[in-house]
Amino acid sequence: MFPIGNNALMTAQWNLPLWADVNSSFWFPKQASTFAPQVDWLFDVILWVCIVFFFIVVGCMTWFAIRYRAAKGEPAKSRVRHNTLLELSWSVLPSFLLVFMFVQGALDYLVIVRPPEGAYEIQVTAFKWGWSFTYPGGIVVPEMHVVKNTPTRLVLRSQDVLHSLFVPAFRVKKDCVPGRFNTMWFNPSESNPEGEHFDLFCTEYCGKDHSMMKTKVVVHETQAEFDAWLAEAEKPRSDETPESYGQRIYETRGCKGCHSIDGTPRTGPSFLALYGRNEKLIDESEVPVDENYIRESILEPKAKVVAGYQPVMPSYKGQLKDFQVDGLIAYLKSLKGS
Amino acid sequence: MATVTSTPDLLHDTLPDGSAPVKDSYLSNSRGFISWAFTLDHKRIGVMYLVGVMSAFFLGGVLALGIRWHLWAPEGALLMQTDAVGEATSNNDLYNQFFTLHGAIMVFLFIIPSIPAALGNFLVPVMLGAKDVAFPRLNLCSFYLWVGGAVFFLLALLTNGLDTGWTFYTPYSTTTDTSVIAATFGAFVLGFSSIFTGLNFIVTVNTMRPPGMTWFRMPLFLWATYSTSIIQVLATPVLGITLLLLIAERVIHIGIFDPAYNGDPVTFQHFFWFYSHPAVYIMILPALGIISELISVHSHKGIFGYRFIALSSVAIALLSFLVWAHHMFTSGMSEVATVIFSALTFTVSVPTAIKMFNWLATLYKGSISLNTPMCYALAFMFLFAIGGLTGLFLGTLSTDLHLHDTYFVVAHFHYVMMGGTLVAFLGGLFHWWPKMTGKMFNDLWGRISALVVFVGFNLTFFPQFIMGSRGMPRRYATYDPEFQYLHQWSTIGAFLLGVGLLIAAVVLFASLWRGRRAPMNPWGGATLEWHCSSPPPYYNFARPPIVGDPYNFDTVKYDPRIDGYYLTEPDHFADEDDHH
Repeated sequence: MFPIGNNALMTAQWNLPLWADVNSSFWFPKQASTFAPQVDWLFDVILWVCIVFFFIVVGCMTWFAIRYRAAKGEPAKSRVRHNTLLELSWSVLPSFLLVFMFVQGALDYLVIVRPPEGAYEIQVTAFKWGWSFTYPGGIVVPEMHVVKNTPTRLVLRSQDVLHSLFVPAFRVKKDCVPGRFNTMWFNPSESNPEGEHFDLFCTEYCGKDHSMMKTKVVVHETQAEFDAWLAEAEKPRSDETPESYGQRIYETRGCKGCHSIDGTPRTGPSFLALYGRNEKLIDESEVPVDENYIRESILEPKAKVVAGYQPVMPSYKGQLKDFQVDGLIAYLKSLKGS
Repeated sequence: MATVTSTPDLLHDTLPDGSAPVKDSYLSNSRGFISWAFTLDHKRIGVMYLVGVMSAFFLGGVLALGIRWHLWAPEGALLMQTDAVGEATSNNDLYNQFFTLHGAIMVFLFIIPSIPAALGNFLVPVMLGAKDVAFPRLNLCSFYLWVGGAVFFLLALLTNGLDTGWTFYTPYSTTTDTSVIAATFGAFVLGFSSIFTGLNFIVTVNTMRPPGMTWFRMPLFLWATYSTSIIQVLATPVLGITLLLLIAERVIHIGIFDPAYNGDPVTFQHFFWFYSHPAVYIMILPALGIISELISVHSHKGIFGYRFIALSSVAIALLSFLVWAHHMFTSGMSEVATVIFSALTFTVSVPTAIKMFNWLATLYKGSISLNTPMCYALAFMFLFAIGGLTGLFLGTLSTDLHLHDTYFVVAHFHYVMMGGTLVAFLGGLFHWWPKMTGKMFNDLWGRISALVVFVGFNLTFFPQFIMGSRGMPRRYATYDPEFQYLHQWSTIGAFLLGVGLLIAAVVLFASLWRGRRAPMNPWGGATLEWHCSSPPPYYNFARPPIVGDPYNFDTVKYDPRIDGYYLTEPDHFADEDDHH
């Protein structure tokens, strides 16, 4: 519809850098994608239009209210109730500003929603209440890692209800809709210093822990740095025991949303003192909770459903690797209770 | 030429210094519970609505204060639970129920019926010089439907709670185990209440205007109410359909909204906003009508640009049907649809701006009284200017992608809905209170309430714009510490706002016991409600008077002995003129 190149954002030079720079610290988080300067610039233009109109309206209102305040019974000083030229002017003239806002906003929008050819692709799965990012090669991590100056495309899906992926520093947002794929893209322009990150929020209300559904975005300075991270991403760190690694999986891969560790039944049974117990299934039979049962329940969750619960858990087959399942089993064993 | 009670002497007979009551007013012509519960008098129904919507507002307001209190600390401060190791943590489920019920009660039980059903019911027939609305029984029926809908909402509240957000988005609403069905059925019933009121007003305005009142001699409040009624009648059935489909989806899994049964959740959003966006104008249009009346009457000057204001109400009503998908710019709609809806959204700002400029021109060289209703009207203009202008950031596509579903949106719609509609409602309530109750309130304390509400409101909601553009998502029970000081400003503001509203309530209640008797025309208005006594008699007018310009203030004169105004020209009647 508006054929402009994807690099228009980067090449367009606007003569109002001062406004953008001064205000971006007050109104905005850091600018960390190529979209950010353009979005912030248009925000600032609209802001100044608003400030001018606001002061005209409220200024006139205040001035008139003071100047023409009168004792009761005094007649108004003017009887003019109509002026076609004036009325047409203030109806029509501001519309040009509206047209500008619409056109500029739409042009930027069309850049923001159209990923360039050959962008690096990450599959994103949103669930109650967490994220998983699947990188090429099937590596699944709960954080989003990307490379500076590398256009990156996200393919979004949801396992349960609506979610929305929002990275304020990138100025982008897209809903994750169950039953369909949505896509979004960005080109990170700022990398994080070691140990720092940008926030990624869920912005579509999704139930109990909606406000906890956030994760980190790490922008690596170089591809090599990213590759080194990716190679180690899934494995246990050197300082982790099998139990603490399992705990990390539990907390970051979506177990936590439905399985408590304090005995409270949620969507699924609590993990507290689960290992070694006998569970009654919906078909009235009993099964001992051992390594095999846990493994089967993760990979084939609908095979043996515990009585009193719905068969709603998604399969983690292909999502969790064997050493991750082992970590989870070790973690479950450690939750002995009193 | 026959004259009725319109010379100063006669006025003093009916407007004494606090002794003789108005005989046979609508309040005193019959007594007892039954005489109210089964009344067909539009004024009594209006008063009952007023009591109802104000109770709902109180409930919704208490929930709002609970929300703000909870958000005092990043990990939650009020709605807490004790976890397994004995630490207090935020009870997110409870918080979600608080914001859901706050939104649902405020939207369905308060804002939508507030001005049309409470003030509108009282004023529409009186402004028309009519005895009642066209269908008085339907009017009573719509009040009891409102009560019924409210009961279902309270049931949802008291039984299982509701945690879907007031928007009932699928598939969350089809899978949560809270009382979605009770609440949606309540909203369904409330929808019929709204449709019946709208239908009643349309027929009343079309068929019962008095002699001389052409369309372009109607008071602007009637234009606004009429436009609102059109939306109520045309849009609300879609809400009914949507809510029934939602119930059907939950109960028998018809597979229209829930992807688990091959439905599409985005379809629900289209259905829902097809009603709920026009509903935004059901909420604001009557408020714009009130402000047109208040600005003109308290400037004692004819409204500037009458036709533009009148037609802009109709334009807003029609355009409101064409912008619903601007709530869905991030949902994954097609690019074409998104761009078109953005363009259409901008068109709505034109008629809104027209009204604003015309009000300013009305103030210019007026004879302005800064009494309580006028203070609320000026506060409205300030707040609604911010609310309207910040809509531009959300209509613009690229900035909306950043701001959507953040606190920026929360701040924007509170500036429009609360700074706009609620403040206009309060202004209108103070303006017509003497007419409704026959009592004058304490104007000094009324103005103080307007000031405290104004300051508290800005303190509550302005920081939310900053939070939002910095990336704070809405509907969060807990948040990042970097936002804490902004949240704390907002919470302090909310309690200040609560104090302001409490002062307003005390001022109004106190007037019932201690207020001096209201004159027939305390502000100097020229529309027909100021031609009958305060409070009006049961039948309003014995005969409909012949109506001229509703904003002709030349015939309204101040009389300091009654601290009110009187009409120098007597009312004329069609049948009297025939005899000459």
